[in-house]
Amino acid sequence: MRRFALLVLASSVGVFLFGFFGSPILLQQRGGRGGAAAPQQSGGALAQYPKGGPGEIVGAYEIPDQKWPAWAHPYPKPGYIWGSQGGVFAESPNRIWLANRGELKLPDKVPNNFPGNWGFFNVQAAVVPIASMSNCIVLVDGDGKFIESWTQWDKLFEWGRGPHQIYISPYDPERHVWVVDDMRHVIHKFTHDGKREVQMLGEMDEEGDNDDIKHFRRPTFIDWLPNGSFFVTDGYGNKRVLKFDKDGKFLLKWGSEGTGPGQFNTPHGVAVGSRDHHVFVSDRSNRRIQVFDENGKFLDEWPNVAPHTMIMSADEHVWAYDSISERVVKYDLLGHLEFAFGQFGTRPGYTWAVHQMTADADGNLYMAEVFGGRTQKFHPKPGADPAKIVWGRPLMPMAGGGTQ
Amino acid sequence: MRRVALLFVTLALVLPAAGRAQGKPDFSGTWKYDKSDPAGYKGTGGGWAVPAPTFVMRQTGAEITVESDTYGKPMKMVYKLDGSDNITEAQGESQSGVAAVVRWRTKSRWDGNKLVLYTWNTALNQLRDTMTLSGAQLTIARVTENPGGSTTTKLFYNK
Repeated sequence: MRRFALLVLASSVGVFLFGFFGSPILLQQRGGRGGAAAPQQSGGALAQYPKGGPGEIVGAYEIPDQKWPAWAHPYPKPGYIWGSQGGVFAESPNRIWLANRGELKLPDKVPNNFPGNWGFFNVQAAVVPIASMSNCIVLVDGDGKFIESWTQWDKLFEWGRGPHQIYISPYDPERHVWVVDDMRHVIHKFTHDGKREVQMLGEMDEEGDNDDIKHFRRPTFIDWLPNGSFFVTDGYGNKRVLKFDKDGKFLLKWGSEGTGPGQFNTPHGVAVGSRDHHVFVSDRSNRRIQVFDENGKFLDEWPNVAPHTMIMSADEHVWAYDSISERVVKYDLLGHLEFAFGQFGTRPGYTWAVHQMTADADGNLYMAEVFGGRTQKFHPKPGADPAKIVWGRPLMPMAGGGTQ
Repeated sequence: MRRVALLFVTLALVLPAAGRAQGKPDFSGTWKYDKSDPAGYKGTGGGWAVPAPTFVMRQTGAEITVESDTYGKPMKMVYKLDGSDNITEAQGESQSGVAAVVRWRTKSRWDGNKLVLYTWNTALNQLRDTMTLSGAQLTIARVTENPGGSTTTKLFYNK
């Protein structure tokens, strides 16, 4: 009888905890303001949520190898580990760019089972230690082996907090590498080989207000249209989205502070559809995704989700990492929530504040954890449902057949 | 000989003043906090957005020194007026309050008659003060950045 009572008690606690910590997305009822008809949730994919369990942690992926990338394990250099991971971008299955917010000095003694990332200590990698801005941009292969480090550009990140995001536009045959630096208010555009910085948007260490078209204030994310024009969310300081042409010339902006349509509180993510050119913006502190046309006209909002990061997949779905539930969520372009997985934690497969996610054409998913202090590579399980895999957008073949 | 001595004395008196002035206002003085506009500050986070009750500025032709005890301990920041960086190192705290050696960087520039002071440290704090002098009143347009967000405020001080 005592055992039964304990079982009931444990179950009640479990249900309570699940209800408390479970994703608010599960409970969301869409209330779109815009023209798109409010869709119904797709019951099949969502039905598994309440079950919880280990299968939910990594979804359709295998548990990641905690020693990936080999470059960072056991240490990039003696006494130091890679730090807060601002971003990751998969150019191909064999070229993965890591945006590291500096290296962290290890305590004199660490446990034997220390896995090599700061999150192991259950403290945030992003703010606790003071980082050394070394190896901020690193390229590794599919096995995580070191290809190159752009140490020549490390100096750009001193006096900030390191790179916020890293990208290559899918529509750029020259494959320039873009790096967002929020705290220094700029976006860098480098040649593919890292030898030259060809453009810098914004001005280093000079912020501008919401009406200033020459300066950012803490820019966060970028995404592109097929014609090469691009959108920037700006950001921690400002409350707007800016659009530039393919050459970086300012075209338009929209947004102000607030909670209404077209208003923002920490726009922290953008994903752009290649077909209808809709612009999906993470309005993180307002806990919603807002949808606009490419000219900034408000179309819709999807409530109860606060993405740290969003991407448009090759099959034109919006994948996001929800900062509230610490889960990966998949939406169709009308806001139907189709699938979700993940769980907060620091063990392999669990995640802590994924700040940029990316996928390659083989379905490998990479997630950079800004608090966990690591980037994990998730490989699809054999026979996994393709609908539960993030498929990276293909990149335009590189002009001249360069390394890719 | 007397002429040479006189020349030295004259130069000694004139040059520093000339260097200090160069047509720019002199911000030197002890400044006492009056009010903020808007009341409090706009943005998230606190830290450097919180105004010091009192601070002392000293201005020469070469640099500006700002002394305050905002955080319960004396702080002295030096801003070179030639636009170059001044980098120092001191015991401090990380964002989470953990003791750490913190590097500081300061620089300044003139924007007309406004004085712009920049302060960074490796504990992820940034501050930009744009100072305007009007008689015995000092107005500071202050923006701060830290990982948690940004703040914008206007502070008023009296001599």
